[in-house]
Amino acid sequence: MDRRSFVVGSTAAAAALATGTAAAQEVYPSRAVTFINPFPPGGAADVVARPLASVLEPILKQPMVIETKAGAAGQVGAQFAAAAKPDGYTLLVHIVSISGFAEVDRLYGRPVKFTNDDFIPIARFIADPCVLITNEQQPYKTFKEFLDDVKKRPNDLVFSSSGLHGALHLPMALFMHAAGVQMKHLPTNGGGPALTALLGNNAQMLVSSIAAANAQRKAGKVRALACFGDKRAPAIPDVPTMKELGYDIEYYLWVGMFAPKGTPNSIITTMRDASRKAAADPKFAEAMTNLGQDVAYLDQPEFKAFWDADAKRVQEAVRLVGKV
Amino acid sequence: MDAIFDNLLLGFSVAFRPDVLVYAFLGCLVGTLVGMLPGIGPLAGISLLLPVTFGLDATKAIVMLAGIYYGSQYGGSTTSILMRIPGEAASVMTCIDGYAMARKGRAGAALAIAAVGSFIAGTFGVILLTLVAPPLASFALRFGPPEYTALLVLGLVFLAYMSTTSLVRTMIMAITGLLLGCIGIDVMSGHFRYSFDIKELGDGIGIVPVAVGLFGLGEILSTPSKSVVGKVMPPRFRELMPNRQEWRGSAMPIARGSVLGFMVGIVPGSAHIIASFLSYAVEKRVSKTPGEFGTGAVAGVAGPESANNAASTGAFVPMLALGLPTGPVTAVLMAALLIHGVPPGPQLVNEHPQVFWGFIASMYVGNLMLLALNLPLVGLFVRVLQIPYAYLYPLIIMFCIVGVYLVNSSIVDVWIMLIMGVVGYLLRKFEFDPAPLVLGLVIAPTFELSLRQSLVMSSGNWTIFFTRPIAAALFAVCGVLLTLAAVSYFGRRDWRERLAEAEAGEKP
Repeated sequence: MDRRSFVVGSTAAAAALATGTAAAQEVYPSRAVTFINPFPPGGAADVVARPLASVLEPILKQPMVIETKAGAAGQVGAQFAAAAKPDGYTLLVHIVSISGFAEVDRLYGRPVKFTNDDFIPIARFIADPCVLITNEQQPYKTFKEFLDDVKKRPNDLVFSSSGLHGALHLPMALFMHAAGVQMKHLPTNGGGPALTALLGNNAQMLVSSIAAANAQRKAGKVRALACFGDKRAPAIPDVPTMKELGYDIEYYLWVGMFAPKGTPNSIITTMRDASRKAAADPKFAEAMTNLGQDVAYLDQPEFKAFWDADAKRVQEAVRLVGKV
Repeated sequence: MDAIFDNLLLGFSVAFRPDVLVYAFLGCLVGTLVGMLPGIGPLAGISLLLPVTFGLDATKAIVMLAGIYYGSQYGGSTTSILMRIPGEAASVMTCIDGYAMARKGRAGAALAIAAVGSFIAGTFGVILLTLVAPPLASFALRFGPPEYTALLVLGLVFLAYMSTTSLVRTMIMAITGLLLGCIGIDVMSGHFRYSFDIKELGDGIGIVPVAVGLFGLGEILSTPSKSVVGKVMPPRFRELMPNRQEWRGSAMPIARGSVLGFMVGIVPGSAHIIASFLSYAVEKRVSKTPGEFGTGAVAGVAGPESANNAASTGAFVPMLALGLPTGPVTAVLMAALLIHGVPPGPQLVNEHPQVFWGFIASMYVGNLMLLALNLPLVGLFVRVLQIPYAYLYPLIIMFCIVGVYLVNSSIVDVWIMLIMGVVGYLLRKFEFDPAPLVLGLVIAPTFELSLRQSLVMSSGNWTIFFTRPIAAALFAVCGVLLTLAAVSYFGRRDWRERLAEAEAGEKP
């Protein structure tokens, strides 16, 4: 070892020591981080949050705890996270419907509990385009056959959904408005019951996530007619998009991570870096593939832009559904 | 048939692998514990352990998680019988006669019958699951909103038979339960009802805090007002086991509970809690001595405990065969399978025979394990009753509060439980039976939703309930029951007496 490299080395070591002590005072995270899951266990946010937490743990070297705060279709958990101390130890994992609550509250003249401005987006992890499906007892093989029929008999066909103003109700509202057709709405209390209603032919149409409907599609129990992505989905390459069919509609079931407003920038940066690494982890990718999803990671700036555009769509859909 | 046998052989070859056996045992053990602790139900247990299974293969994961689920149905009876606290919502009915048996010094017998009944029903359910899952599942799919409405009307009619007190008191309780069930967001229109700006009330009042409060806390609060002598004798081992008469009295209820529970279990959206309610009502209805119910009828323990186990197995039918979860617990199990890359659904049997048949076979083994786990523990559990109340009751209250809080991490739930505890105390003082209130609360949201869904489907035409065959048949049963009740009311002669006479006359 020559003298010069010794000097450089020891300077670097001293510098590292200095930053080390500085960081020791404000290192984040220094204890367990809680992710709020606003849906019942096994729900859309939960199945992403759990694999995510297990790959984040070795990266951040702290336990990641998932706390279920289910209620009011995800509003209770979001409100809880919005009111949490912005110290980076309470984060929220939420889905597309986060943008709709304020609009629904305004619609009914209720005090608005929180808006999108109460959250800082950190990262988006998946974004599954929705798909318009029908059951095997219906004759429709293509979107056009369905459209011709539904135009002939307004308010006769029934579509099921995950609940009023829910994540699976809004895309159908957007579609019905764009196509100028009417169907009856059969709200249920979740994505699973909505699919059950379709399979039992108690409803004839449903907008579902591709992942949730794929097993039934492969078994021939449901047929996919149109996809809500901006381009065709790899899982169903022969299903046309709404844009191809002439409707300017896009709708995704996405899952993202949020921090309460006021969380310091340094913490957001740490979490963004960790999320980037977690999203690139093959174990996380494998878990998502198993769910029938692809990792569709977006870092904060892109996610923010996507979220803003998405919120406009969601709010429009809520207004289209209106007060029932 | 041969094919099924071969498949089962494959399944057992998987289930008997030592590592799989270990995970099945772990699941059953955790399930028993989770079932016993009030508040912490299978849902919490499974979701807490879900991340632990990420490192395992799919078979081990599902074997362990399912073990928690059906294991909790065994454990749930323990606290119901010993302390009148439903360890799990489906054990509410066991509180009534199980606890009454315990007061008569037959706690050991009640626990043993609950364990044996659970074993028989669980095994029966697995056999049916092996044989007829796919056709049954597609039949269950025909249960749409109108059929569900009919089923719940039937449940309400049965409710009238449940009363251990007068019919009027039962109805007051049931209607209060139905009204409480209306609290929350109106699912069809999004309006908040009776929530007083408490966001947590948006989803309505939970069953667990109400059941734990009314039964458990109410019982504890009313204890000091009674003179309690150290009445629980240290049981001798022979007294722990049911006597011949008790075995005979529970044989048919176990059989009926198994069949009924399985049928209710496969219907999508239904819950094992309804199965145990229905079973209790049926047992009371067919009993020759309905007056015994509420005072320690062995059938009141054997029937519902069997029914909730058969129902929890039945719930796997739509999940495995169709990929449709029937309730929150099966939804989590499904998510677990999905995360492990095994999508449940029509293709499951063909694509992952190892997982499917290994899972089925592990349930046969798991039920045996649970029996072996629970029977020897009966003696130990009964000893809990020897702990002086001054030490035991504060502990129970603590477990109730912690357990109820854990369900939704909601302090509002704790308040509901405490208020219900006081209500439960008052109800006991005025000799009301709280069970119909809980049943009303369970039925109300589903009843309202399916009624209104049905009317959406038919554009407001009420004939939808009579033009669909299953719904019409169920309503016909309701009609017959009501007519019989009316005839007996106006005939001034109890038809149950006559039925009992007729049945007695048939036997030599």
